Amino acid sequence: MFEHLLSVIIFLPILAGLLLLVTPASKTIARITGLTISIAALILSIDLYTGFSATGHLEFVEYLPWIPSLGIAYHLGIDGISLFILMAGSVLLPMVYLVFTTKEKGYYANLLLVQGAMAGAVCAADMILFYIFWEIMLLPVFFMLGLYGGPKRLPATLKITLYTIAGSLLMLTAIIYLGVSYHAQFNEWNFAISKMAQLNLTGRVAALAFFGFMIAFAIKIPLFPFHTWLPDAYTEAPTATTFVLSAIMAKIGVYGVIRFVVPVFDEQFARFAILLAYSGVIGMMYCGLAAIAQKDFKRMLAFSSASHMGIIALGVFCMNVQALTGSIYQIVAHATSTGVLFLFAGILEDRTNTRTIEDLGGIASKAPVFAMFFAIAMLASVGLPGTSGFIGEFMIILGAVKFNTTIGVLAGTTLIIGVCYMLWMFQRVFFEKTNSLSENFKDLSLIEGLTFLPVIILIIVMGIYPQPFLSKITPSTALLFAQSAPVVAQTVTTNALLPELTIEQK
Amino acid sequence: MTNDLMLLLPLIIVGAGAILLMLASVYEKISHEMAAYGSAMIFAVAFLVQLSFCIIGNATLFSGVFNGILVVSNFSKAAGLIILACGFFTAMSSQTYFKQNTFCTPEYYCLAVFAASGMLLMTMAHELISVFIALEIMSLAIYILVGYDRRNIISTEAVLKYLMLGAFAGAFFTMGAAFIYGATASTKFVEIGQYIAKHGFLQTPALIGGSFFILVAFLFKAAAFPFHAWVVDVYDGASVPVTGYMATALKTAVFAVFANFLVIDGSLQAGWIKYLFYISVFTMFVGNIIAIGQQSLKRMLAASGIVHTGYLLIALVAVSSKEFTGSVIAFYLAAYAVGTLGVFTALSYLGGSEEKRNTFDDFKGLAKKRPYSAAAISIFLLSMAGIPPTAGFMGKLYIITSAINAGQVTLAVLGIISSIISMWYYLRLIINMYFYESEDQFNEYVPSAMAPVCTFILVICVFAISLYPVTI
Repeated sequence: MFEHLLSVIIFLPILAGLLLLVTPASKTIARITGLTISIAALILSIDLYTGFSATGHLEFVEYLPWIPSLGIAYHLGIDGISLFILMAGSVLLPMVYLVFTTKEKGYYANLLLVQGAMAGAVCAADMILFYIFWEIMLLPVFFMLGLYGGPKRLPATLKITLYTIAGSLLMLTAIIYLGVSYHAQFNEWNFAISKMAQLNLTGRVAALAFFGFMIAFAIKIPLFPFHTWLPDAYTEAPTATTFVLSAIMAKIGVYGVIRFVVPVFDEQFARFAILLAYSGVIGMMYCGLAAIAQKDFKRMLAFSSASHMGIIALGVFCMNVQALTGSIYQIVAHATSTGVLFLFAGILEDRTNTRTIEDLGGIASKAPVFAMFFAIAMLASVGLPGTSGFIGEFMIILGAVKFNTTIGVLAGTTLIIGVCYMLWMFQRVFFEKTNSLSENFKDLSLIEGLTFLPVIILIIVMGIYPQPFLSKITPSTALLFAQSAPVVAQTVTTNALLPELTIEQK
Repeated sequence: MTNDLMLLLPLIIVGAGAILLMLASVYEKISHEMAAYGSAMIFAVAFLVQLSFCIIGNATLFSGVFNGILVVSNFSKAAGLIILACGFFTAMSSQTYFKQNTFCTPEYYCLAVFAASGMLLMTMAHELISVFIALEIMSLAIYILVGYDRRNIISTEAVLKYLMLGAFAGAFFTMGAAFIYGATASTKFVEIGQYIAKHGFLQTPALIGGSFFILVAFLFKAAAFPFHAWVVDVYDGASVPVTGYMATALKTAVFAVFANFLVIDGSLQAGWIKYLFYISVFTMFVGNIIAIGQQSLKRMLAASGIVHTGYLLIALVAVSSKEFTGSVIAFYLAAYAVGTLGVFTALSYLGGSEEKRNTFDDFKGLAKKRPYSAAAISIFLLSMAGIPPTAGFMGKLYIITSAINAGQVTLAVLGIISSIISMWYYLRLIINMYFYESEDQFNEYVPSAMAPVCTFILVICVFAISLYPVTI
């Protein structure tokens, strides 16, 4: 449509959010502004999606030198991997303004800020620019959690903030280390992400830099054992924040792994992939088992989200095209299903004033539309064939079996746990007898129903006819492995023989 | 000759302005408010003159008139700009501060201008005796400013501590200068450098001892470990604008001369760097430990000033004496000055009369009553903590980049760990301001718009500086 499309998608929400913050706008104006801007961003993203030609390389590139002496630039671009995360954000965020209509000005303003920052992190093609957006992403979450969160919000706020900042500052060191290495090897300063794949990184410092990146992303995803901030933050945060955290921000962690770790640290990644894959599987199991035990449905969804992030991360660690493509597909599927589930949980909490599963029951008879939508989102989340969740999980498990049979089998069987907690929760909340709290439960209003309808349809369409989506993803993932092809081929052969031993020997 | 005087013009303006202000206040011709505007005017004019030199650039350096004792470089110009800007904002925030506090006389402002003239001289000095003179012009004025509130027992204690220890530091410096002169037969940096290049650094004990004494004096003035203990009490005792002035302008001047002295010769630098490495690490971590426990905001900011000294020392460790531009140090000093000065400017009108609000708890719920001030303070704190897109982040980025580029990966990682720790006490104030209900009403009338306007300008500076590209 016009040039600088990515910049507009990034800065339109940020500017609108800042404008709302500095002016004494009322709640209604804030909500309408938020809705308008996020729908505008959605329209622009759809324009982007249709204009995207799936070459596998960066498209819609914008380049403006910023700090020439260090090769740092305002450099944006988008490929098949980032496109889907950007789209997930643009499609899902307008719903918040339609579902939650009575929040404060700062709530909507912060949502706009976080939307712009997340788009920026996904579109950035320069490491420093990526870092800047990555950090800005956290600030609205910090304020939303601290200002509008639940009763135990302060410890949760501090936990997520310190945890994330610690991770990202270590990542900053690693980013600078990459830039300096590039200067040392090619005698030219550059911080462009695409250039870093040419680096030849060996030795102890490179391994440390690898972990600098990995820990930052593992905290954001969150990957076992860096998941301890998650239950508190997801539970205490206001619904919109939980929604943003689980549906999009966690995915940017996975995106970081795909964008930085896989192409740049191919050698270290191949060496530690099995370790990371096990940490993904353990996270899946542990969080799944923890979810079964939860009494609070929001907390249960938090653990369920963490468990699913484990399998998405696993798809990245398997180092083959199927698993990686499956991961990206699953990113979108999980964003839609879990995102919507968190919004439903917010509606449940708003209307019944409780988050305890035991207190509820029989909602299905009072609110059939709500129950049906919930059921579809839930089934997509557990990966029922015919919903979006199935395609991604299937591809990941396929790739995992190819990578390492034990991990494939473990991951495949762990998926059953998800079915257990979800269905059990559904039974206790939606079936059984009604009680005083759920007796007067109102069904979704027409506006709310229409808000959720497109996403529900998307879940089903993505489950039945995935080809148009996959065709946009595959060129980029294939290219990612084509770049580092020799190393991957080599590691596949070494992995066949007890890879743990090779790690220890090194 | 004319060119030399032109280059010296900012210093001349500041010095002459200070004398005029002093005469006017002796004859009681001006009120302290007029003195505030007068001193702000002096700073502003000198700043613009300095800025025009920076923009025109390429002015030929000093010829033989000053016999090589003063050198103007881009680094000294940048440091001068920072100092003059700090002076301007200090004068403006003092004007508001003294609407609520009563111990002001016009001499206060003339001392601030005198101190600035000493600092400007210090950024240009390339000779030990002139450094000493500049140091003393600056210090004497600052001593009096620290103890300006004579009835306040805490500020009297502060000035006594500062004066005693500062006098020791001055004595150390003189002795070091004498030793070095004895060894090298010169006090000029260039000639000392030539001597060391010819004979080596470790040849005579006098040279080693002399440079050690000078190191002690600089570390004391820069508030580095193990000479950091005075900072917290002195900053706490001084009035808010003076603390801000000391934390920013004084530190800029000291680091300017420190860097200039350090890079005079490669072997001198190599001899110092391994000690500076440890000093920098200890400065960061000791500063953090002190800051974590503080209840008073001023004391926390004082301790965080120690931590920032540590970061600046990282930059000093990473400088190379081959092609020294000082741009990283100057950028960090500017970024740090904007953040720190911003917080102190905001405190000067939010603190209330007699600085009654000075602890973390006193600022609980500020965001509900004064949303714009709270937002400004948060931005300054985030800049000091190094969160993008603020100037503090870019400063940290340059420092870490230059450290890793110089092969100091360990130091860079330790610097990052220290800034993770420092997040706690910066966030603590933001959390107090935003996430608690207010007990205090913060409803007193702000007597003057000067400090709030300055705060607003500084907020813009935080973002504007971060966009300015620097060559490492």
